[in-house]
Order: sequence, then structure tokens, then C-alpha cells
Amino acid sequence: MKTIEVPALARVEGEGGLYIGLKDDQVVEIRLDIYEPPRFFEGFLVGRFLQEVPDITARICGICPVAYQMSSVTALEKALDVEVSPQVYTLRRLMYCGEYIESHALHIYLLQAPDLLGQASALDLAAIAPDVVKNALRMKKIGNEVLKAIGGRSVHPVNACVGGFYRWPDATPLRALLPELEWGLEAAKETVRWSLTLPYPDLKIDYEFVALHHADEYGVIKGDVWSSKGSKISVADYETHYIEEHVKHSNALHGHTVDGGTYLVGPLARLNLNHAQLLPAAQKALKDTKLKLPLKNPYKSLIARAVELVHFYEEAIQMIKVYQPDGPAHLDLKLKAGEGAGASEAPRGLLYHRYKIDENGLIKFVKIIPPTAQNLPRIEADLFALAPKLVKMEQEQATLTAEHLVRSYDPCISCATHFLKLKVEEIRD
Amino acid sequence: MNILILGIGQSLRGDDAAGLEAVRLWQELCPETAQRVRLEFAELPGLGLLDLLKGMDAAVLVDAVHAMSAAGTILHLSQDDLASFAPGSGSAHGWGVAETLALGRLLSPSLAECRITLIGIVGEKFDMGTGLSQGVREVLPAACSLLDQEIRSFLRERNASSC
Repeated sequence: MKTIEVPALARVEGEGGLYIGLKDDQVVEIRLDIYEPPRFFEGFLVGRFLQEVPDITARICGICPVAYQMSSVTALEKALDVEVSPQVYTLRRLMYCGEYIESHALHIYLLQAPDLLGQASALDLAAIAPDVVKNALRMKKIGNEVLKAIGGRSVHPVNACVGGFYRWPDATPLRALLPELEWGLEAAKETVRWSLTLPYPDLKIDYEFVALHHADEYGVIKGDVWSSKGSKISVADYETHYIEEHVKHSNALHGHTVDGGTYLVGPLARLNLNHAQLLPAAQKALKDTKLKLPLKNPYKSLIARAVELVHFYEEAIQMIKVYQPDGPAHLDLKLKAGEGAGASEAPRGLLYHRYKIDENGLIKFVKIIPPTAQNLPRIEADLFALAPKLVKMEQEQATLTAEHLVRSYDPCISCATHFLKLKVEEIRD
Repeated sequence: MNILILGIGQSLRGDDAAGLEAVRLWQELCPETAQRVRLEFAELPGLGLLDLLKGMDAAVLVDAVHAMSAAGTILHLSQDDLASFAPGSGSAHGWGVAETLALGRLLSPSLAECRITLIGIVGEKFDMGTGLSQGVREVLPAACSLLDQEIRSFLRERNASSC
């Protein structure tokens, strides 16, 4: 029996183990075991008042709290049969711009780029290219400042509520961000150009891409669920096409299509399905790459993120310039029993929520399907493709190669420390 | 001399709130001294720590730590001690204090001149929920006392340099 132990899977989240089973030098089994303990949000939300849900679910993630807030308010507003004003909707998108900017800047420069440049960490990258990292931090900070201006703070911002916002943010602090946002837009364009110079491993997967799609805007909060294989369904019908199930080796649920297939959510899916809806600067940045879509290399999700950075900087600028709050910041909700499903595109991919509420607005049922849970089977399948190379490598190289691939997905299993053990075992009859 | 006192932690994660609680307690016990320094509280500052340290000449960070020592042990870490905690883990979403300071020193020479110490309180329970464990709660006054000593030392230095 041959065993390879691989230490911590760094720069991703959650605890994970990778098991590879060999038979006659062929890989016959591969499992990404997630040890991360269950967090029970779907359990302890039951019995809470619906207005507590956005701020509680935001605690699921420190980097994508807005995604949880937006998916939850969208679903709960469906349950109440209410629709927010266009002004509220615009402000929600602006808040999401802040989250995309800080998340993508972090992932591109501090999480994935070091891998592609042969550096052990962002610290090593900073030692050889300090200006690159300084600019990355400046780009990230702008996103944080947008969140702070709308939500009071950049980590777990508050202010979003079912029906709108508790108060309109002041316009002055938002407009004060415009010079930095303009700088960030140019820096984002440069990020796209720079992303093309990075040495991407050669890997091409025939994914089924799934993302929110809207005819008139880059799908983030509104839209239907589109698949690259052709299905186009409403968010309300999501669970008739995509399911989440327990697997024996993982504390994280795995997402599949109802016919048992894997699929991919995230920036590659969004770009491939929604590039026509990008704003002009991002359209041009994409066109200038001369890349042929669809992109099918998971490592090149970095390029997709870079193009999205351009889009979200441009969108933030546009929205702040026209921001003139008027009227009530939130609806006066009339409570009733109901059920509603909502989805939004977190930086990592489609995030689905469904709630049942009673006549007093208390939560009776919760279902939350995060993007990483949907991607886990796909990550396993991609590791399967990579495994024949892994088993021929020394342990350290095998660790890095597996980590690089997993990191390209920017998985967000939780905000916890992480540990990857690679075990390769010869299976005997 | 610009002095920063920074309580770091997560108020909803048990003993991870120790740093926040220690600084709050010190602020209550020593209100006049607290007005002579810059006081901040940061939940998951991550890379934002670098912004908080900008322009500071000295900083005392108070945070809960994981260590082999018993819960409630108070560690007084110098800049050199902090440097030895640097890179390696790099959790995607939780840049720790040590990694962030290491990054800051690489990117900003002025940060390298800022005198930083960390008062670490060894925690026991970091599960979701409010409230410190007994062992941590009982040492808060001692942590405050150490924090106060550190601050007064910096203040004496500041006073001496302005004479």
C-alpha cells in the first residue's frame, strides 16, 4: 500500500482531505473529504423573526456577507409577495459591487496569483513585487470602503433588511469614493492585461456552467437560472433541477443536477453565460484579451475575475453618480405566511436560499445552498483528471499541485483553518 | 508619538472576544489615560489592520490566541516574537495578525518603524456564541494591568520627547 500524506491545503477554507485510490497504477477513486464541522445555520434560524435572517446569514462568511444578505432578502420578499423599489435595488447592486471588488482583488492577487508565479504565498509575492501587492490592497480597500459607506462596516455590514435598507446611506461619503473608484477602474483594466501574462497550467474541462442570467444586466441579484447545456428556469424551480445531497465522506453537502451530473458555478460560468451583459469597459477589456469563449480552463477563472473587476468598478461609479435617495428606504411589511426562493451570484457563484415563514414572520424552514457546495463534486472530478500526475510526484509537489487547482475555484467552505491530507492507496482485490 | 490601542476579536465566537473585552475593561478602568491614545476595536480586521496602523508610532494589540498554554495564560509578545509567527497558514479569508504585519513590513518601511506589541490571552472555547469562558474572564483584570503598564511606558516616552 502506498500512502502519501499532504499537509495543510493553504489559502482555501475548511478542513479537507484528499484520498486517491490506485489499482494497477490507475486512479480508480478520488475523494475530497471535507472535515469542516456542520454549522447548523439552517437549524437555528427556525423560530427567528425574518428580519434577523439577513444579519445572521451574513455571519456564514466574512468575505461574502452581502451575498447571503441579498439571497435571503430576495427569498423572504418573494415569500411576502413584495417587490422593492428600483432605488433600493440599485443600492443593493452597489453594495454587491463593493463585495465583488474586495473579494476578487483579494483572490486574484493574494490567493491565486502567487501559485501561478511560483511563490509560496502572498508574502513571498510581496517580497519580489511589492507594488503589485500594494495596488491589490488598494483595490481591495476600495471595495471595503463601499461596503462601509452603505453598511457601516466592511466585515458583516449591516443596513440591508427585508424590504430595503434600514436607512439610506449618506451620498457624500459615497461620492467621496469616486476618485479612488476611478483609479480602481484603470487598475482593474491593467489587471486584465496582466492576467494574460500569467503561466496557466493546461487543463480544459467540458463543464456544464450554471449562473443567474438577466437580459438587461450582468446577472447578480435578478434573473433566471441558466445552464450552458440549455436549460433556463426560474429561481423558484431551482430545486427541480439542482439538488444537494449528503455524501459519506464529507460534512459538506454536494450539489448535482437531478440526473446526477456535476456543474460549475462562479466567475467562469458567469462570464461564459453573461458576457453580453457586461458594461462597456469590461466588454472592451474582454475583447482586447482576444480569448475565445467559453473559457474552460479552471485556472483561467482568474481572467474571468479580472474582467468582472472592471465591470464592478464601472458599475459602482455609474451608480454612485446617480445616487439620490428619495422616499422611504424600506417597505412597510405586511406579515403573512408564505414560502419564497431567492438567488444571487456571490463572487464564488450562485447562492440559493429558500424560506418558509408563518403568519407572524417567524422562520419555519430554511434551505441554503452555497456555491462551493455546488462546486465540490466538480472539484473532485477535476482532481480526478489531475490525479495521474499527482501520484507520480513527490509529496510536496503533489500538495502544491492539488492546492493550486482547488484554489483556482476560490472555495469558501467556511472561515476556518484548513487541513488537507493526501492519501494515496493501492487497492488490492 | 501616535499610540494605538487595538482590541481584536470576534464578539460572537466565545473566547475570541477576549481582546475586545480586555480593552473595553481597561477603557472603563482608566478613562483618562484612554483619552490620551487612539483606541480602536476590530472584528476580523484582516488586511485592514494595516490601515489602522498607518501613521502610528506605537501600537499595543490585544487579542485571543491559540497556544499550548492553559486557557487564561497571558502572553506578552514583542515585535520579534510576532515576526516568528509569520507566514504559512494564510487562510483565505482570515489573514491573521502575524501574517498581516509581516506583509505590512514588506510593503511599508514606516510600518517597520512602528513599535508593536501583542498581549495575547490564551483562549479555550471559540465556538459560536457570546460569553467568555471562566478561565479567560478571570484574567481580564491582569490583562488590563499589563496593557496599562505598556501604555504608560509609551506615554512616558512621549512626554519625555516633547519636553
